[in-house]
Amino acid sequence: MNAIMAGPKINSPANVPHATWLPANPATALPGVRRNSWLRLQGREGVLFLLGIVLIWQFVSSSIHFAGAYLFPSPTLTLKALWISLPDLLKGTGSSFMVLAPGYALAVVVGIVWGLLVGTTPWMSRMFSPFARFASPVPPTIYIPYAIALLPTFRSAACFVVFVGAFWPVFLNTTTGTASLPQRYRDNARILGLKRTEYLWRIVFPASLPHIFSGMSVGLVFSFIMLTVAELFGASAGLGRFVQLNADYADYPRMVAGILYIGVVVLVTMELLERIKRRALFWVK
Amino acid sequence: MIMNALDTRSTNSIHGSGLRVEDLHFAYNGTSVLHDINLTITEGEFVCLLGPSGCGKTTLLRLLAGLETFSSGSLFWNGQAITGPSLERGVVFQDYSLFPWMSLVNNIALALAKSHPETGKKWRLNLAEEFLEMVGLADAARKHPFELSGGMQQRGAIARTLALGSPVLLMDEPFGALDPVNRAKLQDLVLAVWSNANPKKTVVFVTHDIEEAIYLSDRIVMLGSSPGRVIEELSVPFPRPRTRRTLTNSPGFQTFQEQIAERFRQDTLQSIEAESAVCGDAEGI
Repeated sequence: MNAIMAGPKINSPANVPHATWLPANPATALPGVRRNSWLRLQGREGVLFLLGIVLIWQFVSSSIHFAGAYLFPSPTLTLKALWISLPDLLKGTGSSFMVLAPGYALAVVVGIVWGLLVGTTPWMSRMFSPFARFASPVPPTIYIPYAIALLPTFRSAACFVVFVGAFWPVFLNTTTGTASLPQRYRDNARILGLKRTEYLWRIVFPASLPHIFSGMSVGLVFSFIMLTVAELFGASAGLGRFVQLNADYADYPRMVAGILYIGVVVLVTMELLERIKRRALFWVK
Repeated sequence: MIMNALDTRSTNSIHGSGLRVEDLHFAYNGTSVLHDINLTITEGEFVCLLGPSGCGKTTLLRLLAGLETFSSGSLFWNGQAITGPSLERGVVFQDYSLFPWMSLVNNIALALAKSHPETGKKWRLNLAEEFLEMVGLADAARKHPFELSGGMQQRGAIARTLALGSPVLLMDEPFGALDPVNRAKLQDLVLAVWSNANPKKTVVFVTHDIEEAIYLSDRIVMLGSSPGRVIEELSVPFPRPRTRRTLTNSPGFQTFQEQIAERFRQDTLQSIEAESAVCGDAEGI
């Protein structure tokens, strides 16, 4: 009985700090501990990881000989291939963006406008939501063969599937934004007696921008997926086409170079969107 | 130019001039929030709604603003039934009266666009700066709400209601989140705005601070909780213009303050006793 009253025996003294692995704020955690200060590694983990991958890649491709080793071109070989095919890749980038840009831009405009309308109009929401619930989860890649068959040119078909891929994330996030509109903005808009269009454009749209931008990020990723998959199917130019063509001719250094190049293009485009987002959302803490 | 001749005195009907609240009930999810409220606030009067949290004083203010719909009873401003928000009744909320994505001057200009719809944008921006100057924010016109202190934001909110040209000012604990110094400054600003306007504005000011209510108002409407109801209406006997020093030194101030506090204590005791009586009955079953 007495033992129970005393509670469980605590081995460690109470004043030993615990859970030091979990800092209060992840942003401020970095400068505190300096275990590897002699190598100054901290803060450079990302570069080191990439370097590690390249080293392993180099090791695997140069020192191990097995059947099918030609499928693993070494980093130097790939870099050389990248250099040689840079003009082709740049031309392909132009061609790809001629598909991506209109499809994505249209998806953003239509997704936002339609999302704002559906999100703020009860009857439109009742009308469109059942359809959205059915259509939005369909993997958009599945439309590609039909779009190619249906539409007159490959470009229009690819534009269409890029549009479909980007539309749903933008639209759904916009409606989420309108649904989570804080009461205080509604109150203020009503006090000012704003007209419906003013309310949508000057209040609901900016207030929903944080959600809209996350929809645009997801939509952009989807756009690239749709674009490259569509180009694998039947393009005569473009980044996806470049990879497919070199795979067909078993030119794996060029193919891998193409994949890496696409990665960089996506990264740069996403970064561009991120900058636009930061500028537009300057008022969000 | 600012105060357009709004001669509301001619519209005296059976419901008289000023704000009238008749047999007002408001229930939320089956719970009575406001019970049988009857109030008359004459034009140009400064009235404080004073009560503990949960007494429904904010709800009453929102009903006066037209932001909520009452369950039964009626509300009139100058003989006209209040059915929704109107430019005649400007509201200052406790915080976030301004839209964070617009600069201060644009926030005011948006209000001006509603109160002076036939004017040009440039004219409105100039006038908006004048209003900001009136509340001591001339240097902060281009700043956004997140760059301003709480006190400055509330100054901006007051400037906005001035821009709306509302004859009625509804203020919902506008200085509840401010430090004492800013609070005092803003109280004096409201008093200046109220007494300098011609014709005088009608102010309904919600607060839970007894001293604030005495300092500001002509009349104090005391609200008790569960359900919210008027328990007392008191005219403030101290002459204007008031200063804090003369007010707190004036004979009778302490007694008046104590009288109000005592009345609230009584009401709390009563409701506790009423509750325990109900519980006692329940135990007997």
